[in-house]
Parts: sequence; structure tokens; C-alpha cells
Amino acid sequence: MESRNTELVNNAPRPTGPGSVISRLFRSPWALSRGLANSSMFRYVVRRVLWGVAMLVIVSMLTFIIFYLLPSADPAQLRAGKGATPARIAEINHSLGLDKPFYEQYGIYMKKLVLHFDLGYSYHNEVSVKTEIFSRLPVTFSVAIGAFVLWILLGIPVGVISAIKRRSLLDRFTMGASLAAISAPVYWLGLIALFLFSSDIGLIPLFGGSGSYVSFSQDPGGWVNSLILPWFVLAAAFAAFYARMVRGNLIEVMSEDYIRTARAKGLSERRVIFRHGLRAALTPVVTMAGLDLGALFGGAVLTETVFNIPGVGRFAYQSIIDSDLPSIQGTVLFGAFFIISANLIVDILYAFLDPRVRY
Amino acid sequence: MKGLTSQRRRLGAGSSRVVWLLLLAALAFAIVGCGGGSKSSGKLQSGMGVDGAGGKKGGTITVLSQADVDYIDPGLAYYSFSYEVVYPVDRPLYSYKAGSTEVVPDMAESAPEVSADGKTFTVHMRKGVRFAPPVNREVTSADVKYAIERGFSASVPSSYAGVYFGGLEGVPSKSPATPQPISGIQTPDKYTIVFKLTAPSGVFQGALALPLTAPVPEEYARKFDNKKLSDYGFYQVASGPYMIRNDKAGKINGVGYTPGRKIELIRNPNWVAKTDYRPAYADKIVFAEGFTDVSVMTKKILAGTGDVNGDSPPPPTELKRITSDKKLNKLLFFTPTSGGRYIPLNTQKPPFDNLHVRKAVAYVLDREAMRKTRGGPIDGDIATHFIDPSFTKKGFEDAGGFSYDPFPSTNHAGDVAKAKAEMKLAGYKDGMYSGPKVTMVADNTPPGSNTAKVIANNLAKIGMSTSIVSVTHPTMYTVYCNVPKKEPAICPNVGWLADFQEPQTLLDATFNGKSIATVNNSNWPLLNDPKINKAMADAAPILDAKKRYAAWGNIDKMITETAAAVPWIWEKFPGLFSPRVIPAIQTWNSGSPDVAFMSVK
Repeated sequence: MESRNTELVNNAPRPTGPGSVISRLFRSPWALSRGLANSSMFRYVVRRVLWGVAMLVIVSMLTFIIFYLLPSADPAQLRAGKGATPARIAEINHSLGLDKPFYEQYGIYMKKLVLHFDLGYSYHNEVSVKTEIFSRLPVTFSVAIGAFVLWILLGIPVGVISAIKRRSLLDRFTMGASLAAISAPVYWLGLIALFLFSSDIGLIPLFGGSGSYVSFSQDPGGWVNSLILPWFVLAAAFAAFYARMVRGNLIEVMSEDYIRTARAKGLSERRVIFRHGLRAALTPVVTMAGLDLGALFGGAVLTETVFNIPGVGRFAYQSIIDSDLPSIQGTVLFGAFFIISANLIVDILYAFLDPRVRY
Repeated sequence: MKGLTSQRRRLGAGSSRVVWLLLLAALAFAIVGCGGGSKSSGKLQSGMGVDGAGGKKGGTITVLSQADVDYIDPGLAYYSFSYEVVYPVDRPLYSYKAGSTEVVPDMAESAPEVSADGKTFTVHMRKGVRFAPPVNREVTSADVKYAIERGFSASVPSSYAGVYFGGLEGVPSKSPATPQPISGIQTPDKYTIVFKLTAPSGVFQGALALPLTAPVPEEYARKFDNKKLSDYGFYQVASGPYMIRNDKAGKINGVGYTPGRKIELIRNPNWVAKTDYRPAYADKIVFAEGFTDVSVMTKKILAGTGDVNGDSPPPPTELKRITSDKKLNKLLFFTPTSGGRYIPLNTQKPPFDNLHVRKAVAYVLDREAMRKTRGGPIDGDIATHFIDPSFTKKGFEDAGGFSYDPFPSTNHAGDVAKAKAEMKLAGYKDGMYSGPKVTMVADNTPPGSNTAKVIANNLAKIGMSTSIVSVTHPTMYTVYCNVPKKEPAICPNVGWLADFQEPQTLLDATFNGKSIATVNNSNWPLLNDPKINKAMADAAPILDAKKRYAAWGNIDKMITETAAAVPWIWEKFPGLFSPRVIPAIQTWNSGSPDVAFMSVK
């Protein structure tokens, strides 16, 4: 029995604190580079990056195909207006390059993208798509990172407390509330938040309302004030989901044999929970958190739309309304880029967090 | 936002507490939504004549909108909301005062002199009007000439240059890459511009009030216009009382104009009040864009954190609440949009190539039920022909006004018996249709999708089953209804607004057989009736306004009686103004707010 338990403890997901991660990452640079070049990890990363690039190409291709093959508004007619003659429409088609076969248009688009990082110009208002997206990225980052911090700060502690106080009134209340938060559509929750708490139209005017966004550099206080409601609204469903996931994971981990062994060895309950239980329970949370944050960097469409925040998400929404292919393509590519990158980073981190994972 | 996966949804389990939480939230929503206020009978105020009288100088006006302008370049702008921005910034030869639909001289000094043959229009321009920085010099007739010429180039593809200015002598048959001189526009001196037409035109004078005639300084704009697609709009120079805030080089993009976010108008320092009829009360006007949720937009206006709705009406629920509140009702104005909605029936294909089948449809449609899909009476009057009531003495009354209705029914609810009688005349024995399904291409979202459902239900009363293809609104137009080859039997969600107050702009592109185009077609019923075509050809060159309106009024009746399209609503635009401003409305521009006449109380 003794040896079996010991083996279980040794094979359990070992807590790998920041120190161990750092020590892996920051060996001597020379050793690291030599080691990396030969390591299976390096090969893995290169392989994943190449796959990521291939994935971006596939995503861009699919966006083009969907736009051209499925019924979608004709950009030349939209641009020309109701009075334009067929000759004028043909001229616009020509000037936008829309008279070429779609595969040729795709080739031109990709060539410009690869050689000049040029995402083209909006069919709608001729603004550079790259400029437009880059000008909006800080806004989207502000929304996403703020919400991310909130949902981690709310979701994980609530999940832990619920797991520890399982079946208590507190557990039932928090899990019930989390169910409500998961079920509430973001746009509905956003409107409720605005109608209750926004400084202009709210019953209890506390925070900035729709269209109140100001950049951090312009007014740090105003920036926070304008984003408090969007942060909470966006974080609500995520926090609720994370709370439920942490609770479930922690309950499962706490019933593992190695936890029993840890307790048998006389460790304090706090140490058992936080050193042995929680760390193992949080590993899948890291994966989810990375992916969710990556997805939000591509634009929190509903939140940005409801709160009139000029981020990438709202740009994507308007581009779809306007059947503006270059803008749709740009926002989709950026979204895909962030998701693929987040996926890769999470997978690499995973190797450090969970020693059982090998590449 | 990343959507919640089904895995996430499955994680939850039922809980009575959750139900309570949801109920509480719903209650809070209801409280916020209902608001207070005393009830009144809710009579709708007309926007006609709302001219901003009694205003005072200073302050900032904020216009809230869902979307951005279509184009910021005055040569390209062709959208009611864009005109809200263009007209205070760029002065065309003629324009309109707030609350009025009468054309008045703007950059022009007086009404044009028209030659006896109706082919030469001479316009004398005002002196002392100056461009805003960075150009700063006086506006001349050459600037107006260049502004129109650029509209014919491929780099500035104006939507309407060909339609209204295509009759000028020397207009190129194919658009040149960049602006080229047009021989039919002459500038004998700095303040005179002469237009020579190949044939007389009754609408040319009205077209001179379009923003294409607003001056553009060639020496400054040429470098932008010489590009494949001009970006002059981002560097434009104002001639009106306001200018879009720019930098020293004249750039507005990223300065006073952030696409999809904000347009900021400030005073043009070179504007001379005595050369303009606009009072230009406000010091600054901000067009704040991106208010996708119109209920939020409405509440902001009522709270005074926005001053007026720029491009979207308040939602029907809010409209009903406001109209039934004695205090709030004073802030709301309904203005005819100079156009309406109708149901075109494809006259080139069975079964609607048969006049009696079309008449049967005109009888059976329940227009009252259709109107309810868009909010009921607050959305407008039920239409019985095409020239709308805003054209009061400009063709509406000539077409029979409110009393002309060739397909009447009690309360406009449809007359099945008369419809069946028409079906019998069409050859259907028992008055019930027996052919293949009739296709409709409709919006995939309300209210358009609901209108299509009502139509389908109505047609079933005469045995007509329908097959509905649901797509987005722009797709419906540009892929199906505007393309005759792909056009279905019925396009239930189309509508048309006049470009300016001339009935020809309502009827010519939409019902003239000569207007049928292979793409971007607006003659949706594909009506090609030689009698109507001839009547239009005869009416178009009439210079005498009274006679012209009478002729187009008669044409309206002729079209209505073909039942090629069934008119069902003359829409009104509800303009909601905050309590802190004195309202002014561009009644000529579908009821849009007129910021050059509005003021802060």
C-alpha cells in the first residue's frame, strides 16, 4: 500500500510554481538556443506555427468563397447607389477589381497581404482596413483584458469556495447565479446594465453609458468609467462558466487518491487544497482562458455594439451589414490570428504547467 | 464576443432561485422600459414647417446615429443622413430652408434664367462666399463647373450625375478616369455659370439643388481626384457655415471625421453670414455614430445627452410611449419621407403578366395589416398611389390626393370578393389561382420578413401559394430585385424616395420602360407600357411647373391602374428632439434634422 500511494503521489500533476516555469524558460541563453534547436519542443512550435499560417490561409480562402458563392449583396451596386447605370456599375466593378474571377481576386489579395501586409481598402468608405483595425485594436484590448481580469478574479474564487462549501447555501446561490449569468444573452444584459446604471439613461446613474468610451491616454479616469459596465457584462458569462468549471474540477481532483495521501501525510487542509488540489484543477482553466482571451482580441462584437465601443468587434459588425468584403476579411483574419496564437501559447504553457505533457 | 459553446450551456442545472433572479431582472427591465409621464390622446405632430425659429447662438448639438454617412465627399453623398452633414458644410447652387420643400438660391444669387427653348440655364452666383481653410479664396463659377465634371469621372462615381446632368452637352458616353471638361457647362465670368442641355428638362432646376453642384476648388482637389478612386472627401474644403474639423493640410480623416464613430463640425472661419440664409446658431455639431440599439438612442435623446436621431427612428414601442405622453409628445415630429413602399409584381412573367391577376392582388392585400408590421399608423398613411402627400401641390393633388384609390376596400383590409372576380376575369374559373407557386424574395429580419408573411397569407385567399426566399435587405435588392434575370414574381420589401421635390424623380426610374436596366434596375415591376412611356417622355421637358405636376399626377394614376405595383404606405420619419434644443427639420430630406437651423435653448 505504501509504495502504491507514493507512486500515485509522484505521478500526480505536480505543482509547478512560477519558479519552475522560469527555470525552464531561462536557462543560459546559449544552452537554451542550442537546446531549443534540437528539442522536440522547438520542432513542435515550428510545426504549429506553420499549421497556424496554413489555417489563416484556409480561413481567408473560406471567407472569400462564402462571400462569393452564397447570396451576398453586390458591393458595386451598394457603392454606386440607386441611380447608377449598368455602365457605371461595370466601371466600379472594374476599379474595385470585382470583375475578375474570385480566385484571381483572392490571389491579388493574398499577394498584397503577404508582400506588403496590405489588407486593402473598404468598399464602403475607402478607408484602409489595416489602419482601421489597428486604430481599433487598443480599444478591443481594453475591453477584453479588463473583462478577462474580472472574470478570473470572480470566477476562480467563487468556484473554489463553492467546491469547498459544496452543497451549502452559498454554493447553491453562487451556482444558481452563475447559471443565470451563463443563460443571459450579452446584448440583453448590456441593455439592462445601461438602463440601470449608466450615467446618462440609468435609473441609478453610476458609470459611463453607451458611446462614452475615451482612450486611456486621453483620460484614464474616463477610460475606466466608460468600461466598467462593458467589463462586467462581458465578464459575467465567462466568470460564471469559470466558476462552474473550477468547482467541478476541484471537486473531482479532491477525490483523487493523491489528495487523500497528502492529507494522510498530515498536510494542512489549506495546503492540500491550494498546493495540490487547485493547481491541478486550474490546468484546464489556463487552456480555456487563453482561448477565450484570444477570441475576444478578435473583437467582442455584441458588447462593443451594445455599448457603442469603437473596437474591432463593432467594425466587424458594421462590415457585415455593409457587405464590405475587405473589412470582413480583415477582421476575420485578425480574429483567426488571435485564436491560433492563443492556442499555440496555451499549448506551450501547458507543457510547463503539466509535466505529463510532452511534445 | 466568443459564443458560449453548447458544452457550457449544458453545465447548468435548474434552480428556482435562478427563476427569481430572472423575474427580478425582467421586472427591472419593465420598470426602465415603461417610464413615467402623464397620458394624453397622442396626436402626432407634423414635421412640416418646423424651422428652428427663435434660436440663439452658441452651444453644441449632438446628432445620434446608427451608421455612418455613405460618403463624406459631397460629389458622392447620396443618403438622407449624409445630406444632414453635407448641406451645412457644402453649399450647392440651390437648396432648401428648414421646414420647407421650396428650392431657394444658395450659392446662386437668384433663380436661374431659362432660355425660351428650355435648353439653356444661366445661374448668377453670389459674391463674397469663401472656401474654408486651407483654401481660403473666394468661390467662383469654375469651382461649380469642376464639381459637376468630377461627378462624371470614374474616380468620383456619382450615383446621379448621369441621371440628372446627363442631358448636358458634351457629357462623355464613357466615364473618363479623371475629371474632364464638359462643353455644356460654361463660365463666362467668375460669377456666372451657364448650362446647355441637349433637350429641355423640367427637373434640371431641381437637380441644381443636389450636392453635386457644391463648389470644389480644382487646384486643390485635382491631386486627390486624379487617383483611381478620389479621396478628396477626406481632405474636403467647406463653403458653408460649418466645416469638418481638419488639420493644417486640410485632412479631416482621423481629425474631425472618424469613420463609423464621429463627425465633428465647427464654424467655418471664412463664412460670411450675409451671403447665406442659414442662421447657423450652434458653435459646434457632433454626429455621434454607432448607436446600434435605437432604444438606447431614444433614451439618450430624452435624457438630453443626445439631441436628435439622425438616421434611425425610435423603435415602435418607444414611439407609442412618447406619443401617449403629453410632455414627451411635444418633442416628436412626423415628417413625410417623400416616397413610400409598394409591392412590385413582375409584369414580365406569369401569373403577373395578366392585368386581372395583378388587380386581384391589389384588391386582396390587407394594407392595414401590412402597416401594422411596421408599427401601425405612426409609420405613415396608407398609400393608394405613388406620389406621396409631401408633394401637396406638386403632383399629389393632381393624382387625386387622399381620395384616389382604384382598389378600395373597407379599412384597407382587402376585398376578397372583388379579388376573386378579377381572378375569374383572368380565366380562373372559381376565382382561385391554380398555377405554380409564386416566388418572393424578402428580408430575413423584421419588419420586412413580417410584411412578406402578411402578403403570403393574403395571397392564399385567392389560392396563390408562395415560396419565400429570405435574405438580407441589401442582398434582396442587389442580387435579386435589381437584376431582371433573377427577379422573382414579387419583391415585397422595396420602397423609393424622391431625390428632390419633383414627381418625375418618384416615377421615371421606377416605372418607365426605358429605365429597365440589366443590373441596378429600379423598375422592379419591369413595367414597359408604351402609353405610360410616352406620357413620361411628354411630361419630362415641360418647363411650366403647374402643367408638369398635372402631367405627372396623371401618369401616377395611369401607373396605379396597371396594378404593376401595389402602393401600401407613405412613410413618415419620426424626428425626436431633446428638450434642450429648438428643433428644425429638413422636410425636403425625408424629415432629417437640420443642424444649420437647430439651436440650443
